[in-house]
Amino acid sequence: MKKLLFFALAFVFLATAAQGKTLKMALDADPESMDPHVQLSGGMLQYTHLCFDPLIRWTKDMKFEPRLASKWERIDPLTVRFYLREGVKFHSGNTFTAADVAWTMDRLKKSEDFKGLFTSFAEPKIIDDYTIDIITTEPYPLVEAMATYIFPLDSKFYTGADDKGLPKDAIVKTDYSFANQNQSGTGPFYVESREQGVKMVYKRFADYWDKDSKGNVSEIILTPIKENATRTAALLSSGVDFIAPVPPQDMDRLGTNKDLNLVTMAGSRVITFQLNQKRKPEFADLKVRQAVIAAVDNAGIVAKLMKGTATAAQQQAPEGFDGYVADLAPRFDLEKAKQLMKEAGYENGFEATMIAPNNRYVNDEKIAEAVVSMLSKIGIKVSLKTMPKAQYWDEFDAQVADIQMIGWHPDTEDSANYSEYLLMCPNKDTGKGQYNSGNYCNAKLDELVNQANVETDKAKRIALLQEVERIAYDDAAYVPLHWQNLSWAAKKNVDLEPVVNIMDFPYLGDLVVE
Amino acid sequence: MFAFIVRRVLQAIIVMLIISFIGFALKQNVGDPVRELTGVSVSAAERESIREKLGLNDPFLIQYGRFLKGAVLEGNIGQSFFYKKPAMEVILSKAPATIELVLCCSFLIVVLSIPMGIYSAIYPKRLLSRLIMGLSTIGVSVPIFLIAILLIYIFAIELNWLPSYGRGETVNVWGWESGLLTLDGLRHLILPTTALTALMLPLFVRLIRSEMMEVLQTEYVKFAWAKGLPRVRIWFVHAFKNTLLPVITVGGVQIGTMIAFTILTETVFQWGGLGFLFLEAVERADTSLLVAYLIFVGIIFVVVNTVVDIIYGLVNPMVRITGRK
Amino acid sequence: MRLWKRFRSSYFLYSFLHDPVAMGSFAILAFLTLAAFGAPVIAPHNPYDTTTINIMDSEIPPVWMEGGEQNFTLGTDAQGRDMLSTMLYGMRISLIIGVGATLMQAVIGIVLGLLAGYKGGRVDSFLMRMADVQLSFSTLMVAIFLSAIFQAIFGVAAFERLAVPFLVLVIGIAEWPQYARTVRASVLAEKKKEYVEAARVMGLPAARIMWRHILPNSMSPILVLSTVQVAHAIMSEAALSFLGLGMPITKPSLGSLINSGFDYIFSGSWWITMFPGILLVLLILVINLLGDWVQDVLNPKLYKG
Repeated sequence: MKKLLFFALAFVFLATAAQGKTLKMALDADPESMDPHVQLSGGMLQYTHLCFDPLIRWTKDMKFEPRLASKWERIDPLTVRFYLREGVKFHSGNTFTAADVAWTMDRLKKSEDFKGLFTSFAEPKIIDDYTIDIITTEPYPLVEAMATYIFPLDSKFYTGADDKGLPKDAIVKTDYSFANQNQSGTGPFYVESREQGVKMVYKRFADYWDKDSKGNVSEIILTPIKENATRTAALLSSGVDFIAPVPPQDMDRLGTNKDLNLVTMAGSRVITFQLNQKRKPEFADLKVRQAVIAAVDNAGIVAKLMKGTATAAQQQAPEGFDGYVADLAPRFDLEKAKQLMKEAGYENGFEATMIAPNNRYVNDEKIAEAVVSMLSKIGIKVSLKTMPKAQYWDEFDAQVADIQMIGWHPDTEDSANYSEYLLMCPNKDTGKGQYNSGNYCNAKLDELVNQANVETDKAKRIALLQEVERIAYDDAAYVPLHWQNLSWAAKKNVDLEPVVNIMDFPYLGDLVVE
Repeated sequence: MFAFIVRRVLQAIIVMLIISFIGFALKQNVGDPVRELTGVSVSAAERESIREKLGLNDPFLIQYGRFLKGAVLEGNIGQSFFYKKPAMEVILSKAPATIELVLCCSFLIVVLSIPMGIYSAIYPKRLLSRLIMGLSTIGVSVPIFLIAILLIYIFAIELNWLPSYGRGETVNVWGWESGLLTLDGLRHLILPTTALTALMLPLFVRLIRSEMMEVLQTEYVKFAWAKGLPRVRIWFVHAFKNTLLPVITVGGVQIGTMIAFTILTETVFQWGGLGFLFLEAVERADTSLLVAYLIFVGIIFVVVNTVVDIIYGLVNPMVRITGRK
Repeated sequence: MRLWKRFRSSYFLYSFLHDPVAMGSFAILAFLTLAAFGAPVIAPHNPYDTTTINIMDSEIPPVWMEGGEQNFTLGTDAQGRDMLSTMLYGMRISLIIGVGATLMQAVIGIVLGLLAGYKGGRVDSFLMRMADVQLSFSTLMVAIFLSAIFQAIFGVAAFERLAVPFLVLVIGIAEWPQYARTVRASVLAEKKKEYVEAARVMGLPAARIMWRHILPNSMSPILVLSTVQVAHAIMSEAALSFLGLGMPITKPSLGSLINSGFDYIFSGSWWITMFPGILLVLLILVINLLGDWVQDVLNPKLYKG
């Protein structure tokens, strides 16, 4: 009898051990919805990677790795053929096929947030249940990058009407919808419960297709903690196992703590200031723009305000991107800046206004403040106003100030995207230059970017995009500051390093907790 | 009394109308909700069409008219953009967290401020009195987020005794998510309550002390001494009862303020209540939620102040409730 | 000269000279006020002159710690500003805002509170419901609203210049109901008393009765509220900078210095929070201690001596 009891206990013990680990995680925000197509944001994409698998996904070194597509090949300039994995189940139990991919792409084109990314895509062609041709309307170099946004949804699950009689596939931003509150994907986790803004519980999907994944997390409890110090405190007090992002000023403390594991990685969000040439005629003068750039000690900002958790930038795209030019020299030189101001005829300087957000980028407000004092040294007296992001973008669009801060992370993870939004001549019809509040406009640069957008030859494309960065550098088109680092911190037993990446999508399905 | 209540209800409705009107007028200044609902790369035209769809482009009076119609006919005071739910539902789901916090805090204030205030009034020169007054001054002058973060630092990080964020485990009692009934919930309550109490307590200690000192000098207290009544009876029955009027007044306003604006405490402790909700609504430009919230808070103030007015009459028979004929 | 004589022989001075706490508090307050308003002369650096600030000087610890520099006695903040100078300049702003806003609240609140309590009826209902509306629109909403108006009138550039009067206005307007309700409660209790009846029978005008008879007898709660409100106003300003509505970050107040130090609490740069924090506590402490003393001395109901 005793023996039996022992075995029973041992069995129970083993069973619980095999169930895996619970990961308590605190992020700065939780996903806005459970419908992956309702909003394009970092939080939503992180969620989507947990509950839905993409066709292919980025690896750490900016390559692609197969997920639901086991391989893919370009068969002509307009077509890429994707071969899909067989035997993949959705959370609902339905089987994944090419029809789900086609259905998902159709829905993406209806989504207000995603349709812009998929404008060059035509209707895909289903070859058989596990083969699909993705077709573009013109030669398009970024099909693979865009395929990382195709997270097939369970088309059967989302078809029909719910108990309120509303269509299940409706994409609704501000009201109830079936898809906002229910999900079925092929991802490693499914949502067990969700209380928006308070807590979200994910459970591991038992029938997950990727049996090779070493991930052993069976449950994730996500708590959004917006306040930086509180988030750090939660990790230090063992309230949670994993936090992101880590504020720069706390890196030292977390990094030196031997019970914790801190990982940082150069990111691709570039922080810049735009000098409005229309609003402030002084900035139309190349010499003045060069002086401004020479006056801004962006390496100093990185070293001091960012505590080294950023990379000083001279261009838009970071290393690893197609347009990155390795030999662009740093330009900070205060004496030269004063000299340039003199040559431009502004020896006594002038007054200007600046706006910056105070809750959008890491240390945004402090950075703006530092730049104000740097510019004062060459006689440009700047009056600064900072505001929360909810109010900022309207003011930004209205161009209420002469110098405006903007950070940019390309959704496509591609060099051309920066210039399209930040540097091309503003054009209401094409939508180019949508965030170009500097009103910098150079036809040559526009031409090069447009060429790059239809160039499928990698080498030629790199040459085009590098030329773009050089022109912007020579024209002193904007003031580049730095690329923000991404950062994560966790308990020692959480093996973070292998699952994090420059896109800031931790692949928690593969996370190993000891 | 009945006429008095009817009058107050009417006034409350007018207050709500005024608040909602001003709220709508302010809406534009908080920011653009559509911006918060879309990714950065979404085109301006696309955003415009969403704005059009949500009716945000209509003239102010038309939007307000639509709101009034919804409020009167369906009892719907707006839809939270971020929560994708009726705003009232969101507010009611967050209210218990704040109300529990404020109740615990008020309890502590009552329990602590009365003895502290009375003691320092009776023996103003004693060391303990000076200590109470000194500490209460420090309490009022240290910013709440500093107190909060120090509490977290000491009790959560260094000593690891108490949790640093959130409400912990809650139990649903007839739709009320309560953290008072579980050990975990109570443990989570300790730090935020302490921080908030430290901020609010000094005012009450000081108020009770100064009122009490005044009352102790009045004729009827002296008369009571002369009559040879026991000290405790004089202090607590004769004197203390007469200090209550201003204490209740200030208390009423402060409790209303606490319910509404525990913003900083709730933010630091990630306490999912109304203050937190308010700040988030401002930051996300969730304007409909904001207007609903303002109306809700307006009701709280009218109710609290009405209750205070009624209590005046009970405590001090010399005060006639205005409007009660 | 006669005034001086009267002052010298007054009970006020007598009690002051016999209360070491009051004297000490007064000395410290006088010293701090002088230091704050004399900041341009006393401070070793001018933190508002951005040309002298160097980011490379940021977060230098106080002089007695390792890595400290002679030039920066109390260390520097995240921007490389000298802490001591920044605190002195910041204290000036905080004092102006704290005292200014409290005065404004008190004036609006006392006038409306007296009216509401004394007149009663419709006037009372109207004013008290107005107070309810005002309370619902916290400081934050008032700030958002007024800042939009300010920006529309004066443009973005003017904000730096107008920030102090703007903040006095915002905090002054937002919190008058606290006073109004307190005063009203006192008035309700006082107005039935014999001396008020007597004044009325004598045919004194209502304004005079309110101002000269009722108000002095309601001072005690007003004074208590005031000392606390000064501290609250200083902190409100700091809280507003959360939303970019407080002092411009290039001109930090004491409150916003503490506020920004909140970020550095785990970083080891404790001096960014602690020094302004200690200074603020000291400032409020002496204001409160003096407040207590003034209250005890001036209160007509307390027996003196």
